[in-house]
Amino acid sequence: MTTTNQSSALGRVVATERKPNTPHEFHFWTALDSPVGIGTIVRVEGAHPVNGQIPQIYGVVVEGFSYTDLQTPLHDVMGHDGAPGSASLAATERAEIRLYSAAVLRQIPEEPMQPVPMGQVFLAQDADVAVALRMDGYIKEGSSTGIPIGVYRAGGTDAAIYLDADFLIGPEAAHLNITGVSGLATKTSAIEWILGSIFTHFPEQKGSVAAVCFNVKGPDLCFLDLPADIGAADKVIYDKCGVPAGPFENVQYFAPYKSDGFSLNTLRSNEALLHNVSPLTWGLREVLQYAEVLLNKDDVDAKADALIDFIRERVVDRDFSDPMLGNKRYVVRSFADLEGWFRDVLSAMENKGNEGWRTHHVATIRKVRNRLSNISTRCAGLVTDDGAVSDLPFGSFQDRTVYVIDVASLEEAAQDLIFARVVTRLREHLEKRDLGVNHVIVFVDELNKYAPNDGPETYVRKMLLDLAERGRYLGLVLFSAQQFRSQVHRRVVGNSGTALYGRMDADELATPGYAVLSPAVKTKLASLEKGQLMVRHPHFTQPIFVRFPRPAIMRGRDGAERYPQAVDINLDAAVTRSLRTLDSSITLGWVQDAVGIRDEDEIIKARNATLRERPADVRKFFLAQLRPTVATQVVARPAAAVRSAPADDPYGF
Amino acid sequence: MLAMSVTRAALESPGISSIRTLQRQLSALMPSAGLAGALSDGPSLEVSSSPLDLPRLISAVVIEGNALRARKVEPAIAPGFSAFLDGTQESRVLSYAHGMPLIHGKVAAVIRIRSDRRLATWRHTVAQRLYAPRRLLSAQWNATLDALAIDIVDVTSAPDAQGGAAVSEHPFAIRDAAIHSVQADRERVEHRLAEKWCDAEHEPLFVDGGISGSDRVARTANAVGVVKTHRTLYAEGDSLQVVFGLREGERTSVFRITSPKRTSVASWYLRLRDPSGRDPMWGLVRVEIADSGDTEAEIRRRADEVSGWVLAEVSPLALPDGRWDKMVYGIRDCEEFLRAIR
Repeated sequence: MTTTNQSSALGRVVATERKPNTPHEFHFWTALDSPVGIGTIVRVEGAHPVNGQIPQIYGVVVEGFSYTDLQTPLHDVMGHDGAPGSASLAATERAEIRLYSAAVLRQIPEEPMQPVPMGQVFLAQDADVAVALRMDGYIKEGSSTGIPIGVYRAGGTDAAIYLDADFLIGPEAAHLNITGVSGLATKTSAIEWILGSIFTHFPEQKGSVAAVCFNVKGPDLCFLDLPADIGAADKVIYDKCGVPAGPFENVQYFAPYKSDGFSLNTLRSNEALLHNVSPLTWGLREVLQYAEVLLNKDDVDAKADALIDFIRERVVDRDFSDPMLGNKRYVVRSFADLEGWFRDVLSAMENKGNEGWRTHHVATIRKVRNRLSNISTRCAGLVTDDGAVSDLPFGSFQDRTVYVIDVASLEEAAQDLIFARVVTRLREHLEKRDLGVNHVIVFVDELNKYAPNDGPETYVRKMLLDLAERGRYLGLVLFSAQQFRSQVHRRVVGNSGTALYGRMDADELATPGYAVLSPAVKTKLASLEKGQLMVRHPHFTQPIFVRFPRPAIMRGRDGAERYPQAVDINLDAAVTRSLRTLDSSITLGWVQDAVGIRDEDEIIKARNATLRERPADVRKFFLAQLRPTVATQVVARPAAAVRSAPADDPYGF
Repeated sequence: MLAMSVTRAALESPGISSIRTLQRQLSALMPSAGLAGALSDGPSLEVSSSPLDLPRLISAVVIEGNALRARKVEPAIAPGFSAFLDGTQESRVLSYAHGMPLIHGKVAAVIRIRSDRRLATWRHTVAQRLYAPRRLLSAQWNATLDALAIDIVDVTSAPDAQGGAAVSEHPFAIRDAAIHSVQADRERVEHRLAEKWCDAEHEPLFVDGGISGSDRVARTANAVGVVKTHRTLYAEGDSLQVVFGLREGERTSVFRITSPKRTSVASWYLRLRDPSGRDPMWGLVRVEIADSGDTEAEIRRRADEVSGWVLAEVSPLALPDGRWDKMVYGIRDCEEFLRAIR
């Protein structure tokens, strides 16, 4: 291979009438052994000055051609008597060309914009790459808003590629979407790497930033705080990009309980990792605000909607009474309370023979009762009957912290509910500027499931659209991933200022969304190595290929093997584990003594209250939550006089 | 890359001007001249004119054996030639003076050297001249021609034209004389380039055409001329039938070609390709090497060796060139190069 002297030309621009150069595309040839390939960035030096300045044109290779002076393949067959092996014996090889087409990245001077002139072609060096991608505008010393996303490598050039934080996190543009086939861990790895890079390089003057990640499958995001070994090649990229090669320092995990109500429903349930895992549980009040998420349009017609509104506004958390219900007063705080309230309302109507109550027909009341009661069953573990709430720390989010919500094992409805409520709450707090941080990155995988291009309109999709279209003004940024970009709603991916592409499926590449890519770029995309991405960013006029390192974070699969999921345990053991996260001196024996023979609901309620309050004296607080028991008294059995049988009546009558 | 490392000769002509530039200069100098009928585009005169040489048979002295015979030759296992030389010429009418053509001639030659099975330029030469019948032109026209930025060749006095005979005022005669002169100039630049090779290198050079025109080249062991055109055949009678009867991979006995104006060379015919179903000249070339006065055995050995080198060049084919049956790929590559810098 030719030793690339970076100051010597590696090609020459050529143009013919049939293949002319334009302001957006040019052609050049190189030696057969030049290091140019698809995605290589090159610089053209024009020969004649324009307005007193020699034009410099930067381009990225998007297509390559190779041909010889053969007029038809048949000539070659004839030349070698139909024996392919004899071709290698020929004294001379045919004249051959390597011809490349490059898409223009930038022209200097930018005006007048002219067709690319004839000139010499050079391999872009570090400084050229920065100019070509317009990075020179935002990676200035002292006022840089650059977020490294990887390195561009070609023929000895090894340049860090930066995204503009103003266009990644907002407010100029925002959001990032990554697409690629499953199974290569590219998408998850890329997101982990980029989040790490953002946490390192997000400019201080732009404020604080945190991430909320929804773990939707397997153990992908369950071990973000644990380190992993990386190779020397990856370390080089970390160093080049100035990102520390380590796991996230601050990670908080949230997971609902399983249906038993006391075992965490997450793959990160190993006792050694529970110190930063918190339960995620909501009560009636939290869920009722998002009834629309769980109830479809067939469930909630206008009448049912009106009744739900009535319950939300007039019943839940209110002191409620009604003449029909007699003197009884209701304070509905949980699903259990609501069920009692429904029961009383319906029986009162039956007793009085009424078909309606407060404009609500008995059938509507029965229907709403049925649907709402069903929620606690469908979302068991997340939605509590007793109204206990354990939530994300809205209002006290920490800078550079990742909040992972593990919804991987949940039913779809519960996933939707969590997603809808968390994002809505984030938006509400960001609007009020009281979340605790200025920017939140929300990472959602499997976007084609939550915001599909077709199918019925869902609350989650509407919310994602809203997030994609208006989130950047609030500092709410969507990082999304999916296998098939074409199956995601156009407005969601279209609003992603930055798009990343890992290895792509050929069928996906055949969809119209990829028509702007050349066949060669598509071929490269279909065979991208792990650790390679194609990047589109508002500053880059053409897609660029970059390499990123394997995250120095324990992979989900490795974590699941090293920290196996806790086996299902009984309530006493579950309570012990939960309380040990607050007080490591608590033992199973103490818990068993404390709970005695109390029923499960009471024990869980006490455990939840303790976890929620996080008291200084865990033991005392936990015991205080349990109803007092009556002390055991030994009652002496009164000695009954033994009657003796009358002498005359031996049978005692 | 080898191609980038070789030295390129400076263009030989003092004033390389395109034919259009000359036409503009001429129009400026003599507005009344007009360019009607001039051919700056379209096929050159060489293409549009019929061949100038008459077909002829010449007997030659056989120096390998007593009579011309066919001999089987084995292709060389390893290629013998290190470089290929070819030249081109292109003549076009610049203008007409008193009805007589003024002809712009451009000649070029190149040596393409082979390294690692790939060809690259060793040196190349480009020259151009204006060929005019000066004795037949007015003083005004001659003064105008002198003012043009190009060398002028008087075809009415050029020794190459018409074999030194006087050129008539017939425009076709003038045209033919000019083409002869251009051809002679082409041979000259080819010979000069070949001589440079012979001075600088010791590896075998494949020359397209004869080598007897240059004494230096014709006496050098490392220059091999390969002639594709057979307007002159060096065989008569039975010998001619031997030539026509050559089969693929066969050569004739070596014979000597002598000429009063040229250096004697040793030569033989060689059949490169199977002529079955084709004309007798199909795949037939004539090879020329230095006539070094060696023994017959040495002449035979040398002829077999060189024939083997030539046969080793039959692949790849020189298609789509119409002369691909006789042309080797290295020469086609030279022509492509010269076409590219035209």
